Formats: sequence, structure tokens, C-alpha cells
Amino acid sequence: MRIGLLTEGGYPYVSGDARLWCDRLVRGLGQHEFDVYALSRSQHQEDEGWIPLPPNVRGVRTAPMWTAEDDEVVLGRRARRRFTECFGELAAVLSGASGGAPPVARGAAGGASVAAKGFAEGASAPEADRFANALYGLAELARETGGLVGALRSEAAVRTLERACRAPGAHRTVREARVPDLLAVAAHLERALRPLSLDWYEDDGLGAVDLCHAASGGPAALPGLLARHFTGVPLLVTEYGVRLRTHYLSAPDAPPAVRSLLAAFHGRLAAEAYARAEVVTAGNTHARRWQERCGADREKLRTVYPGMDARPFAEVGESPECADPDTLVWVGRVEPAKDLVSLLHAFAEIRKRQPKTRLRIVGAPAGAEGTAYLGHCRTLAAQLFPDEADGPHATGDNPVSFEEIGGPELPALADAYASGAVTVLSSVVEGFPISLVEAMLCGRVTVSTDVGAVVEVIGGTGIVVPPRNPRALAEACVALLRDPARRARLGAAARARALELFTVEQNIEAFHGIYLEIVSRAPIRRVVLDEAGAPLPFAVPAEDHVPIRWAAPSPSLVVRGGPGWAARPVRATTPVPATAPEGAR
Amino acid sequence: MSGLGELDRPETPAGPGAPGARGGVGPEQATSPATTSASDPEAAADRKPAAPRRGAADPVKALMHRHRELCERAVDPLEIAAGLEAHGITDRTATRFRHRDVFSLAEEMYARASRDGDAPPSAAPAAPRARADWALLTLLPGTLCAAAVAAVHLTHGQSRLFAAAAGTLAVALALRAALRRGPLSRPDRTAPGRATTWTTWLVAYALLGNGLLDGAVAGGPDSLPTGAADGPWPLTATPVLALALACAPAAWTAHLFTARARRKLAASRDLEDFAAAVRPLLLGIFALFLGVLTVLLTVCAAALDEPAPYAETLTLGALLFLARLLTAHGFAYAPAVVLTATATLQAAALAVVFTSRLPGCGLLAVPVETLVTTWGAGTVPTLACGVAALALLVHATRKLTRASAHAPPEPSR
Repeated sequence: MRIGLLTEGGYPYVSGDARLWCDRLVRGLGQHEFDVYALSRSQHQEDEGWIPLPPNVRGVRTAPMWTAEDDEVVLGRRARRRFTECFGELAAVLSGASGGAPPVARGAAGGASVAAKGFAEGASAPEADRFANALYGLAELARETGGLVGALRSEAAVRTLERACRAPGAHRTVREARVPDLLAVAAHLERALRPLSLDWYEDDGLGAVDLCHAASGGPAALPGLLARHFTGVPLLVTEYGVRLRTHYLSAPDAPPAVRSLLAAFHGRLAAEAYARAEVVTAGNTHARRWQERCGADREKLRTVYPGMDARPFAEVGESPECADPDTLVWVGRVEPAKDLVSLLHAFAEIRKRQPKTRLRIVGAPAGAEGTAYLGHCRTLAAQLFPDEADGPHATGDNPVSFEEIGGPELPALADAYASGAVTVLSSVVEGFPISLVEAMLCGRVTVSTDVGAVVEVIGGTGIVVPPRNPRALAEACVALLRDPARRARLGAAARARALELFTVEQNIEAFHGIYLEIVSRAPIRRVVLDEAGAPLPFAVPAEDHVPIRWAAPSPSLVVRGGPGWAARPVRATTPVPATAPEGAR
Repeated sequence: MSGLGELDRPETPAGPGAPGARGGVGPEQATSPATTSASDPEAAADRKPAAPRRGAADPVKALMHRHRELCERAVDPLEIAAGLEAHGITDRTATRFRHRDVFSLAEEMYARASRDGDAPPSAAPAAPRARADWALLTLLPGTLCAAAVAAVHLTHGQSRLFAAAAGTLAVALALRAALRRGPLSRPDRTAPGRATTWTTWLVAYALLGNGLLDGAVAGGPDSLPTGAADGPWPLTATPVLALALACAPAAWTAHLFTARARRKLAASRDLEDFAAAVRPLLLGIFALFLGVLTVLLTVCAAALDEPAPYAETLTLGALLFLARLLTAHGFAYAPAVVLTATATLQAAALAVVFTSRLPGCGLLAVPVETLVTTWGAGTVPTLACGVAALALLVHATRKLTRASAHAPPEPSR
């Protein structure tokens, strides 16, 4: 199978977001071929280069999202009119202005909020259709004229945006947009719609792949949507962090009008991607809830847990006896969201009941804020716990130690988990808790706060306490410290659970299954004709690609035409389904 | 085997996909395993009174108070949901507020939040600051040109030739450096300059063209220019010196234009407002530049003791200024065309005079000769540059009053 992997600020770049996961996926599915289509996020990222690519990556095409060379495309009169129409429609959907529906109905009390959450609930199907039609209209225009970068930056775009914002029915926040706001929105839309102007959708690009796999939502899914629109390639969207949520959290300072318009754009784009994708995968239940909220169908949602490499932890996991029975371990990046202060207070409570207990805090600070926080925690630990020694003639030290991976004491991450009997997590905010999975792979019992995806990771194999509750944390820890048998039981269960759910192999296997499932349901886009011109059914199943490399340097023939004995079939392309139902569905 | 019973204990969550499995229990219950095994009566006693602490009639109100900034500036419920989650509120916390999940809690908060307060005025896009590097660099061409003119005046013969060549080179390099940064620089450095050749021609014509045309009409030129203003092919250094000195005011007026336009951008409600506000600004800036150029020209003429060719210098200065201003705002095409046309026109006037010496072509040069004999050689560049400058002015009032021309530059992350 040939898979188009779409990334944004991700995979082949050294500093990419999900590069580790994508790299494992591509290497793990060596029997499939990958074409990587990467949108880069910054000059810095491009300068750092790519990670080494495995041989089953056939090609990488990149496009910058941070700068645009002026394409010098001058639109003709008719193209300009089409552009104004489509962009006007897009802007009208974003501003909430009604196209033909009477604005009276939504002028009633609470109308604004109903309209604002419209895209989230999928309640306004006609609005979603208008957005999709406008988007694909722009894409077709860009394909015909060669690029829309100039047009999207032009005065006409700003003017259209202004008209949409002043139209009757537009949201109140949007109606207050001033000229700088309009310019900011136009610039952002131009950047976000840059995939429209790319030449990726021809038959030698995304038109030739069997499946598009977007490694994140948002802008990365846009090329997949367009490929689906132009050539009918099925789309798979994978989100480990919800792109829409990231958008909300990343642009806090813009004026309300800008935030409103951009939130509407990203919300509708996400909804469109979820609606058109064959399968949408989430990394955990939390992401899945957001996707459902943004209009993804439950039937197409799958949870594919991120995979962790279990090998470094195997040795520790299989020898549970090496743990020091009186040591608690905390592992992670030191930052305020981890709430180490609460952990230290809990540890004070634990020391009252189990005086010999020690706490190892392993991790490097994240950023300047993290460094300050680490200093604060060190001070607090020194105040709460005096140094203590074994006897009157020994040198004492503090029961709380702050360490980092890589020193002589802790050469590897697994050693950190190995040294403790219980792994503690005290965060108040957490996404997918990697350190918990690592502890589980090491066969260590965990005590963690109930945040983020902790509960679904832990299952029943550890103790979960509410966040910001040092006493509960302390009680759970003391209970486990006093009960070695229970510790061992839960640790073994944790390791079994982690090996079942959170390994690289299960991740790759899940995607492999999803690929086959999607392709088996996707309509055949290319038929092979025999010499009389009649179609040969089942001549090119997606699985026909033999997982070895042919010596002959004609990969496209091998991929498309099947094995050499198949009498040189003639390739033909089925007509693309008419575009109108595509957008209107 | 008894250990596996542990996995099914009610206090441990049932697993993924069942976040509401514990159906609205307070968080305190989650600690029950620890309590039962630790059997610490003291702790249990402490916890009892803590339970109704948040049992006020309207728990959401307190939450809204805590996150009031988030609620006030949110543009839709999902933004509140994202913000709440970033503060550690989960679906299980939301049950305390009698909501199924964070989304419905956020919706209630969005609906109840008062957003009556005026939106904070959008921060004006930061106006570009005047910086020492370009401010000093724009002084360089004028200084070097003055030095070159002085050197040419003070030397004779071959050394004068060397001085002129060195001066030309120095001024050209200084001009290039001055236009590379600051308010007159091109927005994208990568695109090649289209009009450099023609600009050079226009300036060279201002220096040598009138003498050549005069000489050509009179049947000459009989010798190469000597560098003196009173030779048979006179050198008119005044306009060039004035133009070189005008680099600095051009940069400053362009800077003023940009800064004022940004301020107007922040202040105007819609695009029409903005265009109406920028048009007089553009004309004012243009007039200011011409005024400064006139003063410089007068001073130069007095210093060099030459007549001041006001009309041709002012039209040429206006043309170059407008062309550069348009290029600096991203409209490079029209200036390039207009400059090319102007230079071609001037070249054609010269060529026609020389062509008319061929047998049978005498009639060709009649218009140019009539112009030169009636009003002087300066009328040819004056007319050419004047028409071109007027065209560019009209173009600029259309293009530079657009808001998109003043969009703040993209941050190149």
C-alpha cells in the first residue's frame, strides 16, 4: 500500500512534534510505502534538517507555513470574481452572518451563543456545507490559477472580510472588528490556507497514494481533505493532542474579533476534517471527547494509545525485587503544573507514619519557570525535612533528593523507576502521563492524581487520588508502603496492562489494521483495463504490493501494475465523482 | 489469585471510557482505600467538616469568579472549556458543579458571563522605531557626493577623472547600502531589483544629459566632458548633489508616513475611513519631501555657484521618491514600468537628434529641436519625469491608501 503521511511541523524534521511516533510507525510498517508531505513551522525548524529516513519512505515534499514567496499569480477578471465569491462565503460563515436565512430567529436572546457553538455541535449542517463549499471552491480556483497567496493577501480579501463582518447577523464581537483586526485575520487565513496553493494534488503527488494519513488535525489535515476532494483518496486523521484545543490555548492575547473569527475557522476546519475522514483516531479518551464535541461521528472514532518502547524497561520490570522498599520515586519534567509542593507536603505526612521513607525526585526543570520552581521546591524540602544520619558519627543527608537522569547514580530512566517501590505522580494538569506508563512497564505500583488521562492509563492497577490533596496522597502511599504483597500484585498487573496496551507494537498493529480497513472499504479509484479495453476487476488490490524491493528501477510500474507477469495492463483513471455532491454531502 | 480481586475494587476506576463510573461522588471517596487500610480515625474526623465547605447554593458562581478573566474574554464555550482544562478541571470535577462534563460546565459559564464591558482597544501595531543604522546610512550618499563634487572641482586632468570615477563608485555603493535597510528597503530582499538600471540612467541623464542634448542640437558634441560646468559639454552637478543629499529626508518622510499610517490603521474603524485618512497624509508627505528637496537644491546651487534647475530636479526627485515608496510597500511592478518608460523616452529624444543627421531623416528631430531651442534642453527630462511622476502619484493614491499595503510584516518565526 502507498500511504501519504501528512504532517505539520512534525515528522521528518529533527525538532518536529510527533516525529518519534511517526518514525516508529513508518519503520514498523516496512511493508508499506510512505510519501511524506510535511508543512514546516519555522525557518529554524527547516535549518535543523531531517531525521534519517527509512528506505520505505519514497519521497518527502515540504512546504513552508511560515513564509510565502509571492507567487506573482495575477488573477483574471473572472477568477477574481470567483475568488471574491468563495472567500466572501467563507468569511460569512466565519463571522456568523447568515447567507439567506432570516437573521431575526437568531437575534433572539442567547442567539449569539447558540450560533457560536453551532459548529461544535454539528447542529448547523447547512453552515458546515457552506464552509466546505467555500473551501473547496477556493481550492479549485487555486488549482486552476496556480496559487492564491497573492489573492489572499490582497486588498480584495480584506475588503471581503470587512463586508462579512459588517453583514447583518454577524456576531457582536466580530462586528467590532477594526482594521488591524481584519488585517491580522486575513494574514492568518492566508497562512492557514496555504496548502490550497500547493501542487501536491496531481496524479504524481497525493493523487497516487492509496490513503492519506494526517498525523495531526488542523492544517495538516487540509491537504488530505483536498486530496480527498480532488481524487477521492480516503483520509485518516490521527490526533494525539487536539489541534483545536491547542489553538485556543496558544493565542490568548489577540483582540476578541480576531480570536472569534479564527476560532470559528479552526473549529469548522476540524469539523470538516472529522466529517470527511474515514476514521479518526484519538490518543486518549480526553482527545476523543473533544473530537466528539467537534462533530466527529462515534462510529469513526478509534482510540489508539501512544506506543512506548518497552525494551529499556524489560530488565527492571522482570526483577521486581531490586526495589528499595522504603523509597518513593517521582519522575518527570519539573514545572509548576506537576505540583511538587503538594508532593512534599504529602511526604511530610508519610514521614510521620513511616519515618524511614525517602523520596527521590528525578527530572530536569523545563524552562526558566521550571528552574525557579525547582529552586522553590528544594528550599521547601530543606525546610520541611532536616538532614539526618544513621548514627552520631555518620554524615547525614536529606530524605528528599533531587536528581537528574544521566549521572553516575541514575544512568538510565529505568534505573530511576527501579530504585523505588512506589512511583508517585502529583500533577494538577496532565495530558497523557508518559511517566506513569514507564513506571507500569517497570512493574512498579503507582499513586497518582486524578488528572488528564491518568485514570484510563492506570485502569485498576494503581491508586488514584484527587489532585491538590496531599493527605489523600500520603494515605495512599502509606497504605502501599506497609503492604509489600499488594505492591507486588498491583505492580505485576500494571506491567501486564502496559505491555498489553501501551507498546509500540500494539500502536503499529492498530494503525496497520485501520489502514487495511479503510482501503478495503474505499472505492477503487483506478481500474486496470485488459487489452480489449474491458475492466479487469480485482486486478489491483491494495494488498498486492509484494513487500520486497524489485531490482528494476521502475517502482511506479511495480506498485501500480502488479507483478511483471500480468501482461502489462493499461492504466486508466475513473472519473472523479462530480464535485457538487462532494461538498454538499 | 486473591491479588487479582484488587483490580475490581470499586474505589479504583473501572478503566478507560468510563469516566463517570463513580457517578458524581465527591473526590473524597477516592481516598477510601487508603483510609480503610490505614484506619486513621483522626484523618477521617478532619475530613467530615470539609465536605460542605463548597456546598454553597451556587458553586458555579465561585468558579466563575475564580476564572472571571477567562469567562469575560472567551469568544465561545470551547475556549472556556480549554482554559478550564488547562487549570486542571476534569469531567470528575465538573460533576461537583452538577454538570456531566467540562463542556456543559463551560457552556453554563459562557452563557452566564457578562461580556458587557467594552472590548479593550486593540493594541496598535507597533510603529517602526527610527533606528540609528539606517538614519546614519541615509546621510552617507549625500556626504560622499558632496566630497566627490568638491574633489572634481579641486582637481584637474587625469586626477579629476580618477576622482570622478571614485566618487561615482562610492556614491553608488553608499546608495545601495542606504536603501537596503530602513523605511525605503524592499519588503522581500530576495526579489531582484528591477529598476536599478533605469534609475541609474535617469540620474546619469540629470548629470550629463542636458549638456549632451544641447551639444547634439548644436551639431556636437565635439569633446568628452571635462568635468567643468562651463565646458563645451557641461556637467550639471547641482541636481545630482541635491538628490543625493535628499536621501536622508526621503527616508525620514517615508518613515513618518509608515508610522502615521500605522497609527491611523489602529484608529480607523473600517477601510474607507482608513483610505480617507491616509490620502491627505500621503499628499502631505509628498509635498514635504518636495519642499525639502527645493531647499536642498537652492543651497546646492548657491554652494556650487550654478543655476538651480528647479523644474527638472523636482520632477526627477518626485519620480524617484514615489517609485521607491511604492516599492517599499510591496508594489514593485508599476514603478519599474514607469521608470523604464521615462528612461526610454529620454534615450529616444537623444537618439532622434543623432538619427536626424542621417540623410533623409532630418524631419525626425524637429519636435525635440523645437523644444530645446524654444525652452532649453531641460524641458525634455522635465516633461518625461513630470508626466511619469504624475502617473505614479495617481497610482500611489490608489495603492498606498489600502490597508493591506500597511499590514504589519509577518513575524518570521
